[in-house]
Amino acid sequence: MNEQFRITQRIGLMFRYDQDLPQDMEAWVQSQLQAPSPALGIPHAYAKVAQWPDELQPNLAKRAYMWRRYRALKKQEREGKNGQDTEAARQANRRNHLMREKDEHKFVQRNVYGADQVKLRLTAFWANHFTIGNTFDTGNMIGHAIDKGILAKLNGSFAEMLYGITTHPGMLTYLDNVWSAGERSEHAKGCHRRPNCHAGLNDNLGRELLELHTVSPAAGYSEDDIRGAANVLAGWGVDFQEELPGMRKKIGGMNHWKAYKKRWAEPGTKKVMGQLIHAGRGGLRQLTDFLASHEHTINYISTKLCQHFVSDNPSKDQIESVKSAWRQGDGDLPTIHTQVFKLAIAAPEAKFLWPMTWLFQVVRLSGATYFKGWEDIDNYNNQLMSSKKVLKELGQSFWSLRQPNGYSDDRVDWMSAEMFERRIRFADAIHKNGNTRRSASEIMHRIGAAKQTRNLVASVGNSPRDQFIALMCSPELMGLEYV
Amino acid sequence: MSKLTVGRRNLLKAGAASLFLAGVPIAGFTKDKLLGSISVIILEGGMDGLAAIPPIGDADLMRMRQAISPASYLPLNDFFGLHPSLQFYAQLMARGQASAVHATAFPYTKRSHFEGQNMIEGGGLSPFSEKTGWLGRALELAGVAGRSLSLDMPLILRGHRDNDNFYPASIRGSGRPPADLVEMIAMGHQMDAAQMFTKVARKSEERVQVPRDPASLAAYAGRVMAQTDGPVASVIRVGGFDTHANQVEEGDTDAGQLARQLSVVDDVIAGYRRGLGKAWDDAIILTLTEFGRTVAVNGTLGTDHGYGSVGLLAGGALPSSRVVTNWPGLSKKDQFERRDLLATIDYRSVCAACLEKALGLDHDLIASQIFHQPDLPRVFEHLFA
Repeated sequence: MNEQFRITQRIGLMFRYDQDLPQDMEAWVQSQLQAPSPALGIPHAYAKVAQWPDELQPNLAKRAYMWRRYRALKKQEREGKNGQDTEAARQANRRNHLMREKDEHKFVQRNVYGADQVKLRLTAFWANHFTIGNTFDTGNMIGHAIDKGILAKLNGSFAEMLYGITTHPGMLTYLDNVWSAGERSEHAKGCHRRPNCHAGLNDNLGRELLELHTVSPAAGYSEDDIRGAANVLAGWGVDFQEELPGMRKKIGGMNHWKAYKKRWAEPGTKKVMGQLIHAGRGGLRQLTDFLASHEHTINYISTKLCQHFVSDNPSKDQIESVKSAWRQGDGDLPTIHTQVFKLAIAAPEAKFLWPMTWLFQVVRLSGATYFKGWEDIDNYNNQLMSSKKVLKELGQSFWSLRQPNGYSDDRVDWMSAEMFERRIRFADAIHKNGNTRRSASEIMHRIGAAKQTRNLVASVGNSPRDQFIALMCSPELMGLEYV
Repeated sequence: MSKLTVGRRNLLKAGAASLFLAGVPIAGFTKDKLLGSISVIILEGGMDGLAAIPPIGDADLMRMRQAISPASYLPLNDFFGLHPSLQFYAQLMARGQASAVHATAFPYTKRSHFEGQNMIEGGGLSPFSEKTGWLGRALELAGVAGRSLSLDMPLILRGHRDNDNFYPASIRGSGRPPADLVEMIAMGHQMDAAQMFTKVARKSEERVQVPRDPASLAAYAGRVMAQTDGPVASVIRVGGFDTHANQVEEGDTDAGQLARQLSVVDDVIAGYRRGLGKAWDDAIILTLTEFGRTVAVNGTLGTDHGYGSVGLLAGGALPSSRVVTNWPGLSKKDQFERRDLLATIDYRSVCAACLEKALGLDHDLIASQIFHQPDLPRVFEHLFA
């Protein structure tokens, strides 16, 4: 593959079929780190690429309102009130008040049409690192967390991103923290005096904050450290369903992000991995800052970045170089990312592509219109599936219910006959229903495909469809080794 | 870890029975034994064994977890009850075709899902020490294949190249890819990737439509396992057992998150029963979970990560129904690290016994070659004699 496509396969999403190719790729990579990130997409098939309308990108307050409304109408539906138990009403409720399908569709569209491809790859890495699974009650929040908690924070420090995502209502809900209360908190004490009142600590987020988001088990922390972290976290987050007066009373404000319920907080100083953490709201920032600059965090995440972009088995030297960039930049993400990209571009071996990354690249290279416009989200199309369905079939979506450790960067975890069958079938479906603007041979010419790839495509005969499938499922386009 | 061996006294006796085989060069797989089948239901998240099979005879149970213990449990004996979601399993129990092993776990006490899941699937001595799974290694030794009912190939089945997976696609505008095209693509790939495409080519000959709910997949697995030359092992995952919050519904301890997930497990077992038909007689199904949960209820009507749990077994290969346990007690002093149910039976022994029964592999071979633990106690008699 030529330089432009080799590099963008590694760290981006490949240039679209009609995009001009930059000559100075080093400068291009740097410019990508600063690229503006409007959510690009198409309103309907064959329309010009445009920015997603604001009304489809509501803020958190609006999202919470929609969620409350959705639940209220669901209740009426169960009770058979106000005509809410008709199919039309049910559908309208979903359409008007649930964000999941819209957010997921926006994510897919911006990956297909976006001009900020490198930032989108970084977004996928970090959104996976800070997995927020779809436990249904997180459905209205995941898209917001990815846009505002990850993508918008790529140019700051890791500490900033960590604190932001830890205090995002999506994370606080997904890992149960919105219901956790310190054992000695005012809320728990009051509750224990009442019959059938349950209040106390839930260590889910405290545990994963240490295990998955920062230091990892290699740090050798104890159950007491986990409990300490959970105690620091107690009080953070407010139920997305909470009505506004109750919310104002509990957190003294109206913002779901960084919401802190004082009466649920554990009083007193806490200790996590030897670090004393002050009581009160400031304690969490103190904890996340401590964890963000911890050597085990630097080692764990530097390794993970290398595994994602460079190699399944990065060398010690490669990891060390990222760690030293991390320390030199004091956790500045662009500094870290720049070093990772340097390694990725220099890496000689193939790096297997995640299913969704591969799919976006196939669509961009071929100029297919494989996804509906945002105006058509709710309209059935007998050729094009919803973004939700596509990603589900592919086996990889940030809106799926999954475990908090996210998707694996190790190719062996993606090696299965069913996974590979999906690649063939999607290549087939994109060619058949996506109205591709470029044929296999045109794409091979543009990307400077390897001889082995050309031979493989030639071996399947003259059918444009078979050639297209063979190209997209070739080792070169999947990020695998040639024969 | 020393605590674990204390409770193993009775089991070590059973282990001694197989010692005379230790000198046999390599017993391995004996073709003269009839093959049964082994199916594993992986319960992801850490299943609360104290709620699935509540030890109602232990006075500490109600003292410590009345808020989440199922009120309408089905009594199994004087000491153990069964969660009301496990209706089909209860019928099997009554017919002598289901057993449970209680206060059991893999020897992993650190309470991380991901280390724990790696341990129970990999079957290694420490997390992330294995690239293949214990079931995969067993099938490799026995020279027979298994199938996972999932989009991916779970770690537990890796280790035998003929193992396969099944999870039907539903992609608008695409039919089954023609085998000759896929074979050409396979030829362009190296090693493992080439193998995957070769399997896809083989699949494209099949024509099966199966709904993707766990019970339907189990019924399908049962059907193919019942066929001559079908797989002898299968794996199904059921998630949703990480019940930190709302494990039960407020005011109804028979309902809630755990009750729903246990119903799925019950349906999966019923699905297997339906699909296996006559092959049920030689079948063994067992559950696997990364850890149990805290004895005490947390502040959100749930439980946090713990240690000992329960293993559910079902199948015609079981001679009778039992609850096998060496009960450690639930009082604070009996708990593991003063919070969890202690595991007194190494669940690897249970897996080993099921492998021995289903695949005809010798216990010592299983212990040393599959679990890398030559002194793994043998519990076969407790389950299958």
